[in-house]
Amino acid sequence: MPKVSISGSSCRQFIGEQTEFEVEATSFRRLIRELDSRFPGLGEHIDETMAIAIDGEIHQDAYGLQLPADSEIFLIPKIGGG
Amino acid sequence: MNFVANFSDLKVVGTRPVRPDGIDKVTGKAMFGADLSMAGTLTGKVLRSPHAHARIVSIDASKALALPGVKAVVTAAGDFPEISSEEAAAGESPVNFRHMAHNVLARDKVLYEGHAVAAVAATTSAIADAAMALIDVTYEVLPFVIDVEAAMADGAPILHDDLVPSGMAAPGKPTNIAKRVEFKLGDAEAGLAEADVVVEGRYETTAVHQGYIEPHAVIASVNPDGQTQIFASSQGQFMIRQYVSKILNMDIANIRVTPAEIGGGFGGKTLVYLEPLAVALSRKAGKPVKMVMTRDEVFRSSGPTSGGVMTVKIGAKKDGTITGATIDIALQAGAFPGSPVAPACMCAFACYDLKNVRASGYDVVSNRSKIAAYRAPGAPISSFGVESAMDELATKLGMDALELRQKNAAKAGTKAAYGPVFPEIGFEQVLDAAKSHPHWSAPLGPNQGRGVATGFWFNIGGDSSASVFVNEDGTISVVSGSPDIGGSRASMAMMAAEVLGVPYEKVRPIVGDTAQIGITGMTGGSRVTFATGMATVQAAEKVVDELKKRAAMIWDISPEAVDWKDGEAVPAGANAGGFDPMPLAAIAAKAGKTGGPIGSEVSINAQGAGAGFGAHICDVEVDQETGHVKILRYTAVQDVGKAIHPSYVEGQIQGGAVQGIGWALNEEYLYDKNGRMDNSGFLDYRVPVASDLPMIEAVLVEVPNKRHPFGVRGVGEVPIIPPLAAVANAIKAATGVRMHSLPMSPPKIVAAIESGKG
Amino acid sequence: MPRLSYAAPASVPDAVKLLAGAQGLAKVMSGGTDLLVQLRSGRAKPELIVDTKKIPGMMGIRETADGWVIGAATPSAELSEHAGFSAAYPGVVEGTNLIGSTQVQGRASLAGNLCNASPAADSVPAMIAAGAVAVVVGPTGQRSVPVAQIVTAPGRTSLAKGEFIFEFHFPKVSGKQADAYLRFIPRTEMDIAVVGCGVNLTLDAAGVITAASVVLGAVAPTQVAVDATSIVGSKLDDAALAALDTAARAACNPINDKRGTIEFRTKVAGVLARRAAKIAYDRAGAR
Repeated sequence: MPKVSISGSSCRQFIGEQTEFEVEATSFRRLIRELDSRFPGLGEHIDETMAIAIDGEIHQDAYGLQLPADSEIFLIPKIGGG
Repeated sequence: MNFVANFSDLKVVGTRPVRPDGIDKVTGKAMFGADLSMAGTLTGKVLRSPHAHARIVSIDASKALALPGVKAVVTAAGDFPEISSEEAAAGESPVNFRHMAHNVLARDKVLYEGHAVAAVAATTSAIADAAMALIDVTYEVLPFVIDVEAAMADGAPILHDDLVPSGMAAPGKPTNIAKRVEFKLGDAEAGLAEADVVVEGRYETTAVHQGYIEPHAVIASVNPDGQTQIFASSQGQFMIRQYVSKILNMDIANIRVTPAEIGGGFGGKTLVYLEPLAVALSRKAGKPVKMVMTRDEVFRSSGPTSGGVMTVKIGAKKDGTITGATIDIALQAGAFPGSPVAPACMCAFACYDLKNVRASGYDVVSNRSKIAAYRAPGAPISSFGVESAMDELATKLGMDALELRQKNAAKAGTKAAYGPVFPEIGFEQVLDAAKSHPHWSAPLGPNQGRGVATGFWFNIGGDSSASVFVNEDGTISVVSGSPDIGGSRASMAMMAAEVLGVPYEKVRPIVGDTAQIGITGMTGGSRVTFATGMATVQAAEKVVDELKKRAAMIWDISPEAVDWKDGEAVPAGANAGGFDPMPLAAIAAKAGKTGGPIGSEVSINAQGAGAGFGAHICDVEVDQETGHVKILRYTAVQDVGKAIHPSYVEGQIQGGAVQGIGWALNEEYLYDKNGRMDNSGFLDYRVPVASDLPMIEAVLVEVPNKRHPFGVRGVGEVPIIPPLAAVANAIKAATGVRMHSLPMSPPKIVAAIESGKG
Repeated sequence: MPRLSYAAPASVPDAVKLLAGAQGLAKVMSGGTDLLVQLRSGRAKPELIVDTKKIPGMMGIRETADGWVIGAATPSAELSEHAGFSAAYPGVVEGTNLIGSTQVQGRASLAGNLCNASPAADSVPAMIAAGAVAVVVGPTGQRSVPVAQIVTAPGRTSLAKGEFIFEFHFPKVSGKQADAYLRFIPRTEMDIAVVGCGVNLTLDAAGVITAASVVLGAVAPTQVAVDATSIVGSKLDDAALAALDTAARAACNPINDKRGTIEFRTKVAGVLARRAAKIAYDRAGAR
């Protein structure tokens, strides 16, 4: 089961002070739905404002991304650029 | 296509062909946003608020409308639909369309001097000017606040009564704080307590503008049936299409946006200012409307980047190992929330392998123009503080400044302060290259000093589309969706040529409009050569597959028996048959007979962008009596993954370094006592001129990003990050004084030298 | 709607007639490098522009028995290209070489730079220090006016309606006399002077200063002369330089604006006075 950490404190209003979770999910989309079922509203917030780093590689907007079983997942704010 | 591990096998990628857009640009033929004309075009102009903060009581345009030659006037109340508070994931980062619409045209309140209040379309520029003078706006002037700390303080004038800050406990009263962010690893305070040596400093920066040489420009034409054409200077034609559709409530399919050649963007053209106004005016007037900002408007009314204040603390053991580090930073967002405080926090310590680190920040609104992205948004600001503090730390430890970085360098497997673990990165190689560069050990004279600083940027991927078409004569057309601000169209042609095995001169690239190519994200985030390049390579590969199939058909053998080599179909082995190689042109000539035109379009959401790191070495000479700083020598080292066209990559590095040097030395927004910008022109907003700078030497380190077929890492943003502290550290070395606030202009340097503190 | 006419008279009387008889605002144009900028920004709204470049005598540099005559509309780039004048007045040329940029100097003229009456004009301090005289023509005829008396306030000159400058006379340089001009700006080009200093020195055979003129720009509403008596009679040793620094600072009456604070301008005025004096001294000594 991937270990998920959420960075940045923008999700505080949904999750409070906790930042690490174990989530049963094999794809990014499943992950969002699982988190949303635990913390209503968090799913949309992640969908719209966050990127995912899987074992260090950052992805943005990728529902289909597969999450390897023991991967380390980080949710970080989406990154724009100039 | 798999990653090409052997760069020496490459024939086109890595060379320096002449750019396809060069002749048009140097002869003046290139069509920039202001260059297109259509029959009957009207001139559009914007009436802007003279007040930094005021309620709009009423707008009466009747006298203006009565002036002969005036064809339309638009206001938010009259012509823009109300948008409920809605965050929508659009483009690279979430956009609040309500705020965007209110920035394009003020509703209820004006929040900065220069805020658009109404727009006019008339048959001539002089009539439009006269019309603006006839629009009667009644304001209720309100107290204003500009400075970030003043905006956070109790009793500050409040910009948005309904602003609820995110990421922190509700303050229970109106506030200008829009957001709090925090990124932590371990226990930074405990780490600092363990240190043998601690440095602490407060650093300040002011707003600086992206300074593109071409002002915003657009021509829009709306038909009575709603079909709309827009031709605009922009970093994203799809972004314009989407934003106009949201702001004016129009179907996306009805809007066709062509990106003009662009005279610089740097992030400042990743949003809309004039486009919705031109469309609204054209819709009302029934004629095309052209709008071009003056330089004064660009400064007053288009987003610079944030200024801010920060406190940095770094603690280390005597051997240089950093045990703890913190940064607390507040950035001004301008009139609406959205300063880059999150990336500022994420990038601040990203170059280093730290177990205990905390980066916390506030996004704060104030009565100045809404900020826009500027090359690595947020990172140069926080790096100014962090890299200055690192320099202080090196001095206190008696360590060489580069060695201190090497001792703590991030590498593959390092957990970044913002969470994820780095895959293969090139920071150590960059530091090695800097240390062994002759610049690092060159002698210095009196009043001269040398500084070094490093920087990190994520670089992104995202949505990109590209098509590759085989023409009847075997030449190739490549269409991609990315406006070319850094030479990307040449790189697309080079990558396609490489995959197809044909000469670069036989491949002509264009940038497609929104009707000609699939959706493509904005040109920004250092993503185009990576993401659109990936789409181009995939499209070219599909074309190669198709070419092999056609050759197979012509030879009447199985497609598996055909290989592609150097632009020709060849039998895969002796068993396939003794056929002579069939060049692309020969296959092209028979395309119709073998199945039809050969081409492919690919749309992807490119993943796996590789982070970039840079280290800059700067030598300055300071005239201690006048504070004048001369940049004597500048070397910018950067890991670029793989330079598709090295001249363009060097150009990006040199350009970013120059913008950073200007940011460091003389650029700033000055306000008068009424909250109005005092220096809204290039005479007094001082970007470096060519004679101010030596040749910037760009050193390309190539640690490829294996997720891209040629190993590309984004390059455009990293180079603006190190210069601020590199220059400050050099000034410290030359004068003995540490400057804590930007810009480090002559009067401030003289005052610092005289008092002993910056 | 604004109305604008343009005329390019071929003689002084024709030009005077146009200017004196203008109903609304009339502006003289030589190079136009200030005027066009002001037209575009809306700062100047003339109804008549009188272009003086076609008037014989308004363009050109010539040496006479008494010194140099420079046509008022001569582009400043021609001054630096003129070997003789550059050798005689390197300081004046240093000043004109700093106006705007290379492109601007292809058009900018001494008369324009002077009559635009910016306190920060780059050609003016050295012209005043050189003792240059402006020949003014107008409805009442011709008169000679020391350049120092042309500018009366920022944007204002002592010229009456219908008058314009026809040419400049520079005295002959003889013996050990030389000038220099230095300017402080934050960049290397394109900035308005934060401080400008023109120095003109005459030395005797032993290298002692017998006459000195030190003029500052951008530190007061108009150019100001520094009391340079402290260096006359000296060989510009450290004590003399220190005294000059003090005198320069005392002459300042600057404003705080986005280009410089009072404190900074005053300090730098002293620094530039010292440095320009040294350069002029070395040049004069080498003659």
